[in-house]
Amino acid sequence: MSANELTPGGLSPLVSPPARSQLRLAACLSALLIGALLVAAPYARQPTVNTEALLPAYASAVLVIELLTSALLMALFSVHRSRPILLLAVGYLFSGIMAVPWALTFPGVFDEPVLGDALQSTASIAAIRRLGFPLFVIGYAVLSDRKFPPGSARRIILLSVSGVLTIVSLLTWVIVSNDDALPKFMIDARNVSGLWRFVPATAIGLYLIGLILLGLRRRSMLDIWLMVVLFTLMIEIMLISYISGAIRLSVGWWAGRFYGLASASLVLLVLLSEATTVHARLALSVLAERRARQNRLTAMEALSASIAHEVNQPLASMVTNASAGLRWLERDQPRIDEAKAALGRIVSEGHRASKVVTGIRTMFLKGAQEREPLNLNDLIETVLAQCETEARLGRITVSTALANDLPHVVGNPLQLQQVITNLVDNAIDAMRGIPDPRQMRVTTQCHEFGEVLVMIADNGAGLAAIDKDRIFDPFYTTKPDGMGMGLMFCRTAIEAHGGRLWASDNTPHGAVFQFTLPAALTKPNDAELVR
Amino acid sequence: MSKNGSIVFVVDDDPAMRISLESLLQSVGHTVAAFETARDFRLAPRPDLPSCLVLDVRLPGQSGLEFQREIGRTDSPPPIVFITGHGDVPMSVAAMKAGAVEFLTKPFRDQDLIDGVHRAIELDRRRRAKAAMLAELRERVATMTPREREILPLVAAGRMNKQIAQTLQLSEVTVKVHRAQVMQKLRANSVADLVRIADRLAALEPEAQMDDTSV
Repeated sequence: MSANELTPGGLSPLVSPPARSQLRLAACLSALLIGALLVAAPYARQPTVNTEALLPAYASAVLVIELLTSALLMALFSVHRSRPILLLAVGYLFSGIMAVPWALTFPGVFDEPVLGDALQSTASIAAIRRLGFPLFVIGYAVLSDRKFPPGSARRIILLSVSGVLTIVSLLTWVIVSNDDALPKFMIDARNVSGLWRFVPATAIGLYLIGLILLGLRRRSMLDIWLMVVLFTLMIEIMLISYISGAIRLSVGWWAGRFYGLASASLVLLVLLSEATTVHARLALSVLAERRARQNRLTAMEALSASIAHEVNQPLASMVTNASAGLRWLERDQPRIDEAKAALGRIVSEGHRASKVVTGIRTMFLKGAQEREPLNLNDLIETVLAQCETEARLGRITVSTALANDLPHVVGNPLQLQQVITNLVDNAIDAMRGIPDPRQMRVTTQCHEFGEVLVMIADNGAGLAAIDKDRIFDPFYTTKPDGMGMGLMFCRTAIEAHGGRLWASDNTPHGAVFQFTLPAALTKPNDAELVR
Repeated sequence: MSKNGSIVFVVDDDPAMRISLESLLQSVGHTVAAFETARDFRLAPRPDLPSCLVLDVRLPGQSGLEFQREIGRTDSPPPIVFITGHGDVPMSVAAMKAGAVEFLTKPFRDQDLIDGVHRAIELDRRRRAKAAMLAELRERVATMTPREREILPLVAAGRMNKQIAQTLQLSEVTVKVHRAQVMQKLRANSVADLVRIADRLAALEPEAQMDDTSV
């Protein structure tokens, strides 16, 4: 469900494959209908008195319900432009409108016959309506799910509606004006002739075909509910034509009519409930999407602000150094030595800025998957050489205890170097502003479980308990000008390499950051060959 | 290399920035003392010279603004030129309200920093001169007897010896002697001189403000 949430098909369960719960509901409803049929059956032949008055009410209910269903299906069609759905909408429209002449010609309903006092018209109209609807459903089941071209939906709907209206009007006119030529379905106003037998039989046949086709197809939820509709219609026709002994306005006949009403309402109810659900779900997902976008935006703002600050710092120092250099040279007695020193600082600050940019790029690099056997000791030496100036400026003593026979690890050299750089930078930062001696120690060890352990210890300010929980979170930082991305990146990168990264306290004060990486299966010497 | 006997203090936790600031200020002839933290600055001995403080707003631990408030409470705090990594309007307003001379956003124009530092040092120089003058004056007043202090405002107001004698119920000769003492102790050469000194003392009397802003 959530996977294809964004496609229109995924949003509407009506056109998506049937869910188990819907299948169960449809089965329950069918069972209920059969139960109702069994209850009604014994009273079916009992005639009722003066219930003709109910007939227009019934007909208008059918008309309204089927028109609404048709309208909703048309709306569905205008989105999906699927031909079977259009056909079904037309079927409902046809069936709904046919109920009008049926009621108007029904004998005894109106004191003054509206459409002529004809005996056979009602039955003919009923027959056409009764046989027409399943044909539409069969058409729906058979038609391939080809779509109309976009933009054509409105025109097609207009054409279909006007077509249905014209056909129904013509049919009614032909039937009403040629009552004598019609097949003799009725003996009198209430009882049918032997000829009528063929109508329900054909209808049941069509219903069965429809049920089988839909059952074979079962593409969507709508198919399942249409099966229930056909099933209900089948019960209706059985009630009307057989169980009630085909006596008009008997209890069974009316029971059948109400089955018809139920069947007409079914698809409407399903469509309405689905529309409401979909709407609510859409509103929720729009809300969630908006919230997610807001969060992303805030995160991006924080990130870009941090990056800007991180890059701005070396830039500011470069500008100041350049100004200082110029001023040393512009003096009455130019001081070449001072200008040279300033230029030297510009160079190293330029490298620092580029390091920041590289760090960011490595962090977000997509192609960081290329891995190769690496010697972590080499990486550490490289990083320490790069950080040497910074350490010296911070009056920090750097010592190492690197294992000689350290196995290689398989990893991305850029990412792992960035991890070590971040941890070493952090250690240097942590010792800023503490009294001497300031010491950093980098240790590598080989664990017996096939893991390489790297330890970076400082005797700086150390970690507060609350920080220890959160330092690996994005945007969490204890540095006044930190971006809160460094350690998060480190942990992500180390875990992506199958290792672990954690922080603990150093004695008497300071922090130790340790990470493990799985050792490569190749021996160091072989690894050289691999490379 | 000291420029007219002044000193610039720099407090910035970023070593590269600290060194570049030091170099820039030295290149225009300032004596510079740079510190990594506010604490280092506080603990360091400070020469009794006109000075100014170039302070980074973002410092580890105590922020630059907090530090500004703290040294504002001490005796003769150096005027402050703030530098910050990011232009933060509320922060700069707060800093300027608390009496900062300048608030610069990194990277800044070197001339802006140098001008700011120059103004700050001049401010400190004048403040120091004024403070010294007032201190000396107060010292002179301290040597006067209560009777002489009584006579001073009357002389300054332009009263004749005779009127003063009457007011204080003294003989004219005694008033004359006291008056000569007052002139001598306050090192006033003329009555006009004395009037000016008396005015200054009157301004000093409320004692409340060592107003920096009016300078």
